[in-house]
This record gives sequence, C-alpha cells and structure tokens, in this order.
Amino acid sequence: MSRVFIRLATERPRLVYAMILAVTLVTGALISQIRIDTDPENMLPATQTDRVFHNHVEQRFALHDVIVVGVVNDKDSQGIYNAQSLAALHALSESILKLDGVIGPDLMSLAVSDNITQEGPGTIRFEWLMREAPTLPSQVESIREAVQRLPLLMDTLVSGDGKAAAIYVPIESKDLSYPLSREIRALADALDSGDEYHITGLPVAEDTFGHDMFVQMGISAPLAGLMIFLLMLYFFRSVPLVVAPMLVAMATVIISMGLLIGLGFTVHIMSSMIPIFLMPIAVVDSVHIMSEFADTHKPNTNARDTVAKVVEHLFTPMLFTSLTSAVGFLSLLLTPIPPVQIFGAFVAFGILLAFVLTILLIPAYIVRMSPKALDKLASRSSTPRPETPLARGLRTSGRFAVRRGKLVATFALLVVAVSAAGVTRIEINDNPVRWFKEQHPIRVADRVLNEHFAGTYDAFVVLSHRDEAALPRFQREALEMLVRLAESERAALTPYVEADAMALGAYYGNLIAAVDDALFEADDEQTTTILEQLQLLAEQAQIEAKYFQRPDVLKQIETLQDALMATGDVGKTNALPDVVKVVNRELRGGDSDDYRVPQNASAVAQTLLQYQSSHRPQDLWHMVTPDYSSTAIWLQLKSGDNQDMSRVMDALDRHLAAHPLPNDVELRWAGKTFINVVWQDAMVNGMLTSLLGAFAVVFLMMTALFRSLRLGLLAMVPLSVTILGVYGLIGWIGKDYDMPIAVLSSLTLGLSVDFAIHFIERSRSLLQSTGSFKRAVGQVFEEPARAIARNAIVIAIGFTPLFFAPLVPYITVGAFMAAIMALSGLTTLFLLPALMALAGPWLFPDLRDAFGEAAAAAPDSLLKEAT
Amino acid sequence: MMLKTFTCLGLLVTGAAYADALTDADEIVRQSNLASYYAGADGRSEVRMIIRDPQGRQQRRQFTVLRRNVEAGGDQQFLVVFSQPSDVRNTTFLVHKHVDRDDDRWLYLPGLDLVKRISAGDKRTSFVGAHYFYEDVSGRRPTDDKHELVETGDERYVLKHTPRDAGSVEFASYTTWIDRETFLPMKIDYVNAAGDVYRRVEVLEVTEIDGHPTVTLSRVDDLAGGGRTDMQFRHIRYDVGLPETVFTERSLRNPPREHLERPVQ
Repeated sequence: MSRVFIRLATERPRLVYAMILAVTLVTGALISQIRIDTDPENMLPATQTDRVFHNHVEQRFALHDVIVVGVVNDKDSQGIYNAQSLAALHALSESILKLDGVIGPDLMSLAVSDNITQEGPGTIRFEWLMREAPTLPSQVESIREAVQRLPLLMDTLVSGDGKAAAIYVPIESKDLSYPLSREIRALADALDSGDEYHITGLPVAEDTFGHDMFVQMGISAPLAGLMIFLLMLYFFRSVPLVVAPMLVAMATVIISMGLLIGLGFTVHIMSSMIPIFLMPIAVVDSVHIMSEFADTHKPNTNARDTVAKVVEHLFTPMLFTSLTSAVGFLSLLLTPIPPVQIFGAFVAFGILLAFVLTILLIPAYIVRMSPKALDKLASRSSTPRPETPLARGLRTSGRFAVRRGKLVATFALLVVAVSAAGVTRIEINDNPVRWFKEQHPIRVADRVLNEHFAGTYDAFVVLSHRDEAALPRFQREALEMLVRLAESERAALTPYVEADAMALGAYYGNLIAAVDDALFEADDEQTTTILEQLQLLAEQAQIEAKYFQRPDVLKQIETLQDALMATGDVGKTNALPDVVKVVNRELRGGDSDDYRVPQNASAVAQTLLQYQSSHRPQDLWHMVTPDYSSTAIWLQLKSGDNQDMSRVMDALDRHLAAHPLPNDVELRWAGKTFINVVWQDAMVNGMLTSLLGAFAVVFLMMTALFRSLRLGLLAMVPLSVTILGVYGLIGWIGKDYDMPIAVLSSLTLGLSVDFAIHFIERSRSLLQSTGSFKRAVGQVFEEPARAIARNAIVIAIGFTPLFFAPLVPYITVGAFMAAIMALSGLTTLFLLPALMALAGPWLFPDLRDAFGEAAAAAPDSLLKEAT
Repeated sequence: MMLKTFTCLGLLVTGAAYADALTDADEIVRQSNLASYYAGADGRSEVRMIIRDPQGRQQRRQFTVLRRNVEAGGDQQFLVVFSQPSDVRNTTFLVHKHVDRDDDRWLYLPGLDLVKRISAGDKRTSFVGAHYFYEDVSGRRPTDDKHELVETGDERYVLKHTPRDAGSVEFASYTTWIDRETFLPMKIDYVNAAGDVYRRVEVLEVTEIDGHPTVTLSRVDDLAGGGRTDMQFRHIRYDVGLPETVFTERSLRNPPREHLERPVQ
C-alpha cells in the first residue's frame, strides 16, 4: 500500500498539491458556517432521561434562563435601603423591561413585586411594593419593613444584610444572554447612584464563554503554530525543511475543523481545542521523514529514490503510532457525552488525516525542492553537527538507567505507589463559572452576590403525585350513574366522562360545567338527584386530584424544605407553603403566629385565590401546576460546584430514607446545577470505560505489532505510569477533576504509547543487528532517543500558548500537556531501558544471547564496552 | 367587563344615535359606560371563566353576580358569590362602587371563616387569577382618561384613551372600537410604553336580553405572555328587584339564596 502513496506523491507532485489544496479550500470554506455551543446541558444527549425531565420541568413551571443583576452598596450605613439606590434600582428595572428578549411579566425586582399589608383592623391592602421610587426616608423604611415580612423576597431580591438587591431577568433564549448582559451593563454604568453593579447567572457565563472561546481559537491556535515552527527551526535549522510540516499541520486542522462544522456539528468547548491538539501531533510524522531524509540523502543522487526509501521504511511505525494515538482518542466515543465524543472522533480523524497528508505531501514537497536546496540539505547533514546538550544528556541518562536498573525500577514503583494514593484523593468537581479566571467580572460577580444573597445557583426538587387508579375509578362510578339517566342526558355527558383532558387539568372542570348545564335543563326530580350526585362525585374527585393543595401535603413539603436547609449547603428554599403561609398570616391580621398552613384544603384554595388576585397571578405556576398535581421547591445555592450539589442530594436521600414519601408521590431533581452533576457522573464513569477500552485495544495492537505478549506488556508500562502519575499529581495538588482533566487520560494514552513503540521497536532491531544489549542500548540513546525527546518537547511546548488563554480549561490542558510529555518521555527513556536490563532475557526470549550471562550481573562494564 | 351585560333601559334610543354620528368623544364614552355597566335598574348573571395559561392549561371559575345601580352612571353595588370550583364555593365579594371616591370592598372566605375589608389600593390587579383586571369587571371611571375620537366608521367609533395619571396604570394608552348602535366596546387594545399592543379585550357574542344588547361572551388575550381568559355570561335577568339589603355585610356570611337561585326558564 505504501508504494501506491509514494508513487503518487513522487511522480505526480502537482496533482497531490492540487488535490490537497482543493480539499483544504472546500472544507475551509465550510468553517464560515461555524455554530458555537456553550450550553452545559449539551454535555448530555438530548434524549438523556434527566435532561428530558429537566426540560419538561422548565416547561411545566414556565421557568426561563435568568440573568442575575446584583446591586451592592457597602458605603451607606443603610446599605441598599436609601432613596438614591432604590431609585437607581427602580430605573434600571424599568429600562431592562424595555429590552428586547426580556420576558417582562416574569422579571423579578422590588420595582415589580407585589405587597400585601394590614391597613387598620380587619382591612388588608394589595398593592405594588415599590411602584415608584421612594423619595422620603419613611418610604424607604416602609419598603424595608415590607421586604422583611415577605419571605419570598427576603434574601432573594434583597440580601439579608440589606447591603445588596437583585434583579432576576428572565430571557427568551440563552443566545441572548451575552448581548443582553452587555446592554444591562451599559444601562447600569449610566446610572449615577454610587452603587456597584454585578451581572452573573449561568446563561451569561455560558454565553460569555462562547465569546471568549472564539478569541482563544483565534489567538492560541495560531500562536501554537508559531511556537512549533520556531521550535522545529531550532532543531532542524532549515526554513524549507520546516515549512513542509507546517503545511501538513495547517491542512490537517483546516480539513478536520471544516468537516466537523460542515457535517453540522456545533463547536463546543471540547471541539474548540481540536486545532491546538492536532497542530503538534500533525507535525510529528513529518519530522521523522524529514530528519531521516536529511540524514540519508547524498548530494547528486536522485531525491525521488531517497524519499521513496525513507517513506517505505517509516510507513509501518508511523501507521502504528498514528493508529494507537487515534485509538486513544476514539475511545472517547465510549463516553456518553456528545461533545467529548465529537472531540474524540475528530481528533482521531485528524491524526489519521495527518498521517495520509504526511506521506503524500512531504515526498511531493521534497521532489519539488530545487536540486540546490536539496544538496545544501544533504551536505549539511553529512557534515558532523556539534554535540548538543540534549544528545549528551540523553547518553548519560541511558547509561544511568541501565546501570541503576533496580534503582530506577524502585523509584518508578515508588512513584506509582504515591500516585495511586494521590488518585484516591481526586475530587470530582466542576462548575462552569469556574471556567473563568479568578478576576473575570463573572467570577467577581459570582463571589460578591453569593456572599450577600442566599445563592444565585438554581436547583429544583420536583414532586409529582400520580394516583393511577383514581381516574378509572371515578369514570367507572360516573358511567354507572349515567346509565340511570335518560338517553339524551347520557349522550350529552358520556363524552365528558370519557374525555382525555387530564393533561390540561380541565377534565373535572369541563365535566362539572356540563353537568351544571344539564341540571339547568333537567325537569324531573330523579334526573336532578342523579345529576347532583354526579356533580358531587366529580367535585370530590377534583379536590382529591389537587393533591398539592392539601394542608397535610403542604406540611410534608415544609418538612422537606427544613431537611434541605439543614444540609447547610442550601441558601434558601422557595415553595408553595411559603406563599400560603404569608397570605394566611396577612388575611388573619398579620400576626406572626398565623404564619402557617391553614387547616383545610378549602382554606388553602381560598388563600391561593387571593394570591392570584395580584399583579402577577402567573407567579403561582412557577411553584405548582394549575391542576395541583405537581409542585417544585426552588433551591438557591451559594455554590454551583457539583460537590456541593451532590452533598445536598445525598442529604435529601438520607432524609427520604428515614422519612419516606407516600408511594404515589415521585420526587426528582431538576435545574442547571443538578444537570451539571448528572453529566459529571456520566463523564467520570464514561472516562473509566473509555480508558479501559482504549487500554485493551492498544495492548492488543502492541502485542500484534511486536508479535509478543511480553513486549506488548512492556509497551504499556510508560503510558500506565504516566496516566497514574498525572492523575496522582492532580490528586495531590488538589486540582478538581473536571472535564478537561478527564479527557487527558486518552490523550496521554495515545501519545505516550508512541514513544514506547519507537523505543522498543528500535531496541529490538538493534538487538537483532548488533547481537548485544550493550551496543543496542548505546545506539538507541543516540538518534532514536533524540527523536523521542524532541517530539516530547515539540508537543509540550506546542501547547504552551494555552497558558495565555483567557479561559481556565485551556490553561489546565496546556499545563498538564507539558506534565504528560515530560512524564511519558522520562518513563520511556529511563524505565524501559531499566526494565530491559533487569528482565531482558524474559522480554526477548529469542534474543536471549544478546544479554549474555553477565548482563544481569555486571551491566556497568558491559555498558562501558557498548559505548 | 362582565357587567357590560347590563345595558341601561333609558338608553334604548340607539336608533337616533345610529342615524346621526356623535362627534364628542366624552359623550361616546359616557354612553358606552352606561351601555356596558348600567343596564336596567338592577340585574343578575352567572359567569363562567375559563382561564388558559400559555400552554393551554385551564382553570375554571364560576360565580353569580348581583348588581344594583344606586344611580345610572353613578354609584353601584355588587355581590359576587363563587360556586365553582367547589373548594372556593361561597367565597364572596361585596363592592360598593363610588364615582367620587375609592370603592368600598369586602371579602368573605368561608374556608378561613373570615370577613375582610379590602383597601382600595390598585384596581389593575388580576380578578381571581383571570386575565381580567378588577377594573375591567367594575368599570374604569371615564374621568380617569382623556378621550379622543380617532375615527368614525360605518359601524364603530374608534377612540384613543390616555390616562391622566400615567403612574397608576401599566398602559400608555388604549384604543376602543365602540359599536355605534349598542355603544358596547367590541374591542379594546392596550398599548405599552414601547408602543406595542400587549393586551386585548374582545366581545365575541352579544345577545339581546330584556331589550338590552348584552355581552354574553368576551375574551381577554395576554398578547405578551400568551394566556387568555374567556368569560361567558348566562342566566341573565334585568330589573329583578334586588333590595338594598342584599348588598350589606350581612350577605357575606349569609348569601341571599332566594336571589342567587337560577331563574326558571
């Protein structure tokens, strides 16, 4: 197969150029269709059960994505309660309401809140809390007093310490949150109130992240390219030689990204890192060809023949290293997280593409070089180059590894042990807000607002009541009654009894209205009696169906709220009992003793009828469905960290184990903070599967490549030590295991096995050709070791531009990339020769002679002989 | 709006008005107010409301309204007694509407066994969770707005109304399409500060009862939020002879059964 490629490349170089150029241009044009996706919800497949339920809950309770605007006044002794700050808050609320994309009726602010107050004995008053900005201190004071009596506002719209107020801005679409947050920022800046304004909320974080992602792709990827170019220039000292791999890298990145976008995939945080992953990996194969060509090409010989020989020689190892790297990334397909799957698939594709482009473009490039340039290249490689520190260092380290095999192996075991201990300390945690740097305005807003308020992170405990038997039972009884009616009435009412209008909560209401109409027409006493019985039956069934209006059930919800607050991780809960209790208290005269759920369901119904007689009757449906069959407890959390959310969930589980809910009540979680926990769990489990899968596949490939189970095992050593070492390091330094950290495992696996392949392959062939381990090791630590070290350095440094990325996940990847390269380079260059020295005859049974009797006994003297 | 049901007997001179179009906006509004809210000396009606949220989920309310005019175009008394859903049955509102001062309002909640006075406060709050406001039900004072006749069509007057106290209402203005014959406002569009129509009240059915053109089905659409409420009026009677004693606090706990009972056909 290699011959086909080589002939094509060397005989039709122009055609190869034209083809690659055409494909690059076509796919490159597709990049303009880019669609960015920063929604953490998309970490889960659209059909994932928790995500489906979460979306269902958002619809059921008419919940929207929310921008949180916080106003803080630390200067005034009264905090936010001064005429100027409240006037500014009022003005800002009014202006925000006028913005396109804001869902006005659901906006929450003191300026659009309702108030219920006592006005003399036996009189209550419903009115806006702050219809107009207050001007007098007494007005300000009465607003403060009112807020303190309204638990739904306290610590949500005004902080407990009175220093901060908030506006919750529901928006039509998440995509609008970045432009809207900028508009709101501009409005806030124009206010001259001396207050501090902060804007946060998960949609803002997500959308801002998307914006910054573009910036990073536009800066970091080209920077990485430049870095690699300079580095290769340093190693090879020839511009024409270095231009070729850069062309391969660029074509690989453009075609891969173009295809990803062209196939309709969105660019997610993971896929935005594809260019920067592919760039260093893509140049590696070219480096091999170019350096071997430079080594072997003699002046005045046919470059075509040399390059054909070089490519043929390197074809198999390059194919295998590309395949193993690809397998490492393809294993990400086993992770049930679509953005990670897409990332894995396209990086794998890019790696294989880079291989194909390398063996086509590089030979074509070389045969098109001018004879003069070729001769210059050849003459330079034939003149001995000065000894580099790298070459000297490698030689020394090789000697050390073989001489001190036991020490190296012991040290490696120690590293493994310490790392294993570190791995057990790993904290799985993520929070999209932490994707921003510490000093980013969103992080600052997040910190400040959560210091003051009960919390800006949302989660919902959703309770649903379903008595499957109730409706059929009612229908059976109702139909039995209808039998006793005359034909005309029966025909009129049967459709209502058999109707399927449960979903809209209209079933009983419609039937009762129809019976009421029939009653009006009824002219004999028997019909009237039956219809009245039917009406009564329907009314009772209707009340029973309104499960979450029952006082005993509301008290159970209160118990759940208490249990949630007892966790210490929940800032506040808001739920239906809070509404009922406030209205009940005010109706009964405002005494705090009456802050309780009334005794009977009718009283609750009438309390809620009063609540609905407000400016914002729809607020009720954020807490309960109109048929009262489902209710939501809104949790405000101070932290969006998965760990904190998980703790709350565990505590609730324990509470429910001790105080179980009735059998016909289902409890489920929803909300963004919860969804983050779900995909984190999926990711951790998925990563383990994909790592084990890739491990198995790579092991099989290694065994097949070396045709030896033992060498297959040996090849797995560096990557195993590296993966363990990197994750051990993460555990020890206390870095949270988050999404970018999770994908590092497959990356490590794919890249560090390359080093092992080269090292073992070259060692074996040198063992065969030299017949002596000492000589073989000596030569391995010349050019092959240098190639491994150079590649490790190119890749590690190629990722360093990520340090300058504005977003934390990129910085994390950059930093750990360097660690991975260092670690896998070191294990390959130290541990492999050490293990060969210690267990050579076992590893290479058919080359046993090369190690000799003395090999294990006196490696020192043998090695000296070798060098 | 529900009290549009009652058209004043004294206004059965509509033929004359039809022949000769009125040109004075204030006069059109005055007659429309009478047609909508003051028909007969008194009246009763049963009202069904179907409240639909933007997702089509329904709530129903059913209540009986008794009304007595103290003076045509002037003070009025209302008693509103709920019958459905059964958990709010016998919840009762009593309103003494005044044209020169705040209304007197009382509330009886049988489940809590409570009678409360409700301070006037804001009239543009939801009426028991419907998309109708309290003010739609009891009638907005003509003097609260400035009226302007925009157009006189073949069948309808088009008027634009601007509030005198913009701070007390949520609209910037509203436009009414008033039937030239019946003086019933057939459509009302409320416009917000941004100039968008966000709320619409429409009459869908008018029936002549006891000689009064009477609204028997109307609808309010929340064009911004997406929900709507239908209001159906039935079992309507005018001039039933309701005594003033019906409209006292006593009726809150002891509903006047004989007047609330549905009239025989």
